Order: sequence, then C-alpha cells, then structure tokens
Amino acid sequence: MNLTTYSTDPAGLQAFYEAIISAHDTYAPVEKFGKFDFTRVDSLSTCNTDSPIPKTMSVKPLFFPKSAKVMKYKATSEGTELTDTEEDPLAGKRVVLGVRHCDARSLQVLDAVYKWDYVDTDYGKRRENTILISTRCNEASTHCFCTSLDYDVEQLDAFDVAVINGLDEKVYLQARTEKGETFLKENATGLAVANGSAQEEMKKQFEKFASSFRLKMDYTEINEKMQGQFDSPEFEDVSSNCVSCNTCAFVCPTCHCFKISDEKLRDEGVRYKSYDSCNNVYFTLMAGGHNPRPVKYRRWRQRAMHKFVYYKERFGVNLCIGCGKCTTSCPVNISIFEVVNKVAK
Amino acid sequence: MICTVEKIIQETPDVRTYRLKFRDESLAEKFDWFPGQFVEFSLLGSGECTFCIASSATRKGTFDCSIKRAGIVTADIHRDLDEGDVVGIRGPYGNWFPLEDLKGKNLLFVGGGIGLAPLRSLIQYAIDNRNDYADFTILYGARTSADLCYKEEIDEWKNNKSLKVILTIDKPEDTWKENVGVVPKILEEVVNPIVENTKVITCGPPIMIKYTLMSLDKLGFDPKDVVTTLEMKMQCGLGKCGRCNIGSTYVCKDGPVFTYEDLSKLPDEF
Repeated sequence: MNLTTYSTDPAGLQAFYEAIISAHDTYAPVEKFGKFDFTRVDSLSTCNTDSPIPKTMSVKPLFFPKSAKVMKYKATSEGTELTDTEEDPLAGKRVVLGVRHCDARSLQVLDAVYKWDYVDTDYGKRRENTILISTRCNEASTHCFCTSLDYDVEQLDAFDVAVINGLDEKVYLQARTEKGETFLKENATGLAVANGSAQEEMKKQFEKFASSFRLKMDYTEINEKMQGQFDSPEFEDVSSNCVSCNTCAFVCPTCHCFKISDEKLRDEGVRYKSYDSCNNVYFTLMAGGHNPRPVKYRRWRQRAMHKFVYYKERFGVNLCIGCGKCTTSCPVNISIFEVVNKVAK
Repeated sequence: MICTVEKIIQETPDVRTYRLKFRDESLAEKFDWFPGQFVEFSLLGSGECTFCIASSATRKGTFDCSIKRAGIVTADIHRDLDEGDVVGIRGPYGNWFPLEDLKGKNLLFVGGGIGLAPLRSLIQYAIDNRNDYADFTILYGARTSADLCYKEEIDEWKNNKSLKVILTIDKPEDTWKENVGVVPKILEEVVNPIVENTKVITCGPPIMIKYTLMSLDKLGFDPKDVVTTLEMKMQCGLGKCGRCNIGSTYVCKDGPVFTYEDLSKLPDEF
C-alpha cells in the first residue's frame, strides 16, 4: 500500500498536535523534577514533544507498567474468591507523541519475547490500540549509539507516523504503517501532501543527525566477538564499580524481566507483576540458598550477554537499541557501550 | 485452577507431600501431564512457587507436590496449609522426560534427597508401563535415614520383584542396614551399572549432580544417555520473566529436563 507524506510548518505541526490532544487519549513527555515521563496530557502546553533523550524515560511503562496488578483476592467464610474486575487502564485507544526512534524500536524488540509461545494478551492489546508518533532527533546526545544498529531509518516501521524536520522550517509527517496511514487520513486534515523532494530532504536531515554521533560500533562484529567471551576476565573489571542499584534495567526500554509478588493485608490480597533486574542479587537466589549468580560480575555478564548474544540467538534481534539511557542514569558511570567494546576486544 | 489439599504426608522433618485434588472435577479430567513437568503453586497471600509434579498421570484423580521447607513461601506452606485448604495451581509447564527414547532401555534412576520427587513421577509412570522397559534400578540416597522421602513407597518398590532398589545414607547409623556413602561412590562401587542400552535419569542437590555426572563419565556413559532435571529460580513459567535464562535457553520452556549433552552446551552457570 502507498504510504503518504504530508508537509507543513512548525505552527501547522503544533496545530496538528493540539487537534490530536483534543480528539484522542494522548500521552506525551511531561516534565517532573527535571525528568520527562510519558504521561496523559490534556493540552500541548503541559508537555514537551521534543524532550531531551537522556532526561526522558522510555515509553516502556505504557506497555509494560512498572508495577501492575495481576489479580486481587479476598478470603471469605466460604473460601477464597478472586475479586479482580478492574479494567486495564492502558488498554484503550490512545496516541503517544514525542516517541524517539530508539524507543519505538525497543517495542519491536520486546514484541519478540511477548509473542513467542505464550502470547501476553495485555501487552498485545496495548500495542494494538496505540498510535506511536515519532519525533526524529536532530542531534545525538553524549551516550547515544542507535545509528550503529542495522536498520534503515527511512523505512523503519516501528512507529506509525514519523515527524521529520526538513529544510527551510518545513516539517514532514510521514505514515510508516497502515495504521498510521489511516490515522493521518483522519487527522491530518488541511495538511498538504508533500512533493517529490521531501524524501531527499529527510535523508539529508538524517545524514546531518548521523554525523553528530560520538559513539559508533559494529553490532554484527560485537555479536560475533561476544559469543566466545563468557569466561572473559573483563567482566570482573567492568562491573567492579557497580552498586547493583538496578537503575539501568528500570530505565532500559528493552529490559523486560519481572517478578511476581503477593501483598496481603488481613483478608485481602493483591498479586503484582513488577520490574526486576538480573543485576539484583536476589534475582536467581533459590529458596535452598543456591544462587548461580552470587557475585556481581556474573550478573553483569548475564546482562551484557543477554543483550548482545542470547536474545539475538533466540529472537534474531539485539536486546540493546543504543539509547544510552542506562549510561546516563548510572550513578557510577558504567557505560554499556564501553562494557561490550572492552569484552569483545 | 483451584485445588484442595486432600492429604498431607510428612516425608522427612522438612519435607511434606501435598496430595492435591481439583475442586472442579471436570478440570481433573482435562489436567494431563508428563513426568518431569512442573506447576506454579500459589498460597494466596504468601506467593507462588515452582514445584515439579511428583506423581504420574497414570494415577489420575489427584497429583502430588513434595515441598521442602526452604524459603519464605515454603515455610508458610508448611505452617499454614492444612488438609482441606485450597491452593492455586497453574500448569503443567515445561518439557518432560524423553519417554520415547527410554522405551526398551534399562533405566537407572539416581536420586538424592528431595531430588527423588521429579524422578518419582517417571518411576510411577514406568512401573505402570513396566513392559516397555528392560532392567529397572533405583539408587537413592540422603544425608541421614530420616531424610529419605517416600519411605512407604520405597518399601513397595523393594517388594516389587521387577525393580532393584539400592538405598544409601552419607554416614553410618546404628539401625541402618543398607549402604553407607555418598551417591556417586555407591554408584561406582555397589551399583556398577551396565552401560550398554542404559539410560540414566538423575536429580538431586547441585553438588550430588556434579559428582554423579563425573562418575557416570568415568563409568563410560554417553552424555546423550544421561538425563537430568534442572532446578532454577522461576516465576512466570511462560518464557517471559527472564529469571530462568541460561544463555538463550528458557529453563521453564526448553527444560527443566535436559540431557547431560544439552547441558554441556549451555554457558557454565552452575
């Protein structure tokens, strides 16, 4: 099918965003204590669709919440009954503005694990009912290395609509999926269809952006070299500063490990599914006291190998999309980029 | 699925077997499993734990989970769960022992402590299909005689002329008349199994597994013919939560049953 590109100017884009916010359930980055989080918004003035990458949480919590109720139960005189009738607050139709390439790409990576074998229907429903509108970056931030991944950014269909700056204050809105095409048809009323030079302009804009990267690596080479590095002594070295705070996993758009826990107060209880991390010493600790990863370097090895070897082996994609969020948030400045480059030496 | 605890059997000071029955009887008909599979066992308010099914589906109606008091949830189970109480069950999950490959072979079971639980499922299954298998040997050990599980059933096995049962404990005890010594030692010195046409199925504490595998190697067993079931922290059982990953393998989906050959291909996390 033909996917349409529309052209407008910054004012037109603002108007387009305003119209979306008034017509749809819309999420966008909202500033809170100097950080940006994807939050439900009622007006464009409260959010920033161009929030800086290092300060913005990923869109992951909109699909995989930090902590979610799995079920509720109540003990009665006749026995225990499940009382879970709450609707999933994230399952409705919605639009997300200001999504970066890396974030959108991370959802495609997560699709693989959520859709193999047992299909996570909650996740699938949230994905299906969401329109992702991306903002293309103009400049790489210090720890970004997303351009090292081998996908064609001009063809990337991880989001439904791409918003791209062109020359002379022009802005292009490009449908990338059928869902996006239909959405634009219904919502981009009054916008002109772009002429033939648009593709060329967008490509140029991307090249300018791509040249601003400080960090670059060859993922294929890293994948190959990492494979034989399970026993590398470097893991001890690179992880020695780690304080096992797990922040990296919480901000990571692709980390998806979770824990299931019960909380009970008198006769009522709730079962939660919450984020967890392989950097956590309790992650693999078994009830008998045996722990296959009792020391830091083994946990870091799992983290690095899972991202660059195991997930690729299993699902064909890397579990790291080069957004640099973990490095920005790390209290002791451990950079995943440096870790894998050191180990893969 | 909600199950009622039909019976609790105190196996050892810290192991109890919970015999479970589906509250909804139509589910009992549908619930089928193979030896080696596991369930997620919920005690509401305390949490969920992974336990293997310790009985065979050839003995339908109920199923057993043998639970050792080890952590928080298992302690709550031992303390709070009485006969007639209900628990939540999800499952069965995971793969199972390679039943087709075992047909026509000599079976050698090597178990230690609570590690007999997953083997018991297969032992019952094999006893109920006895004609499918050749020689049938069970080597079972524990630290002390009090730590041996399924004592009554072991007596039945001993009385069954078509099985050979060898028991051992780590240190001598006054009233103990059987073997003394750790499982791998007894395996080499007393059992001294025929390697030809034999499949070994083993499960026990990590240290026992380690030395048993070494002994089997010494006896000349092909890693392909040694089957074990792994213990790994699990939570979802659905290949999602990431806890049981060893390399790109999900123990909860691709396992918990592996041959020694499969295991040696995995990253060395044990």
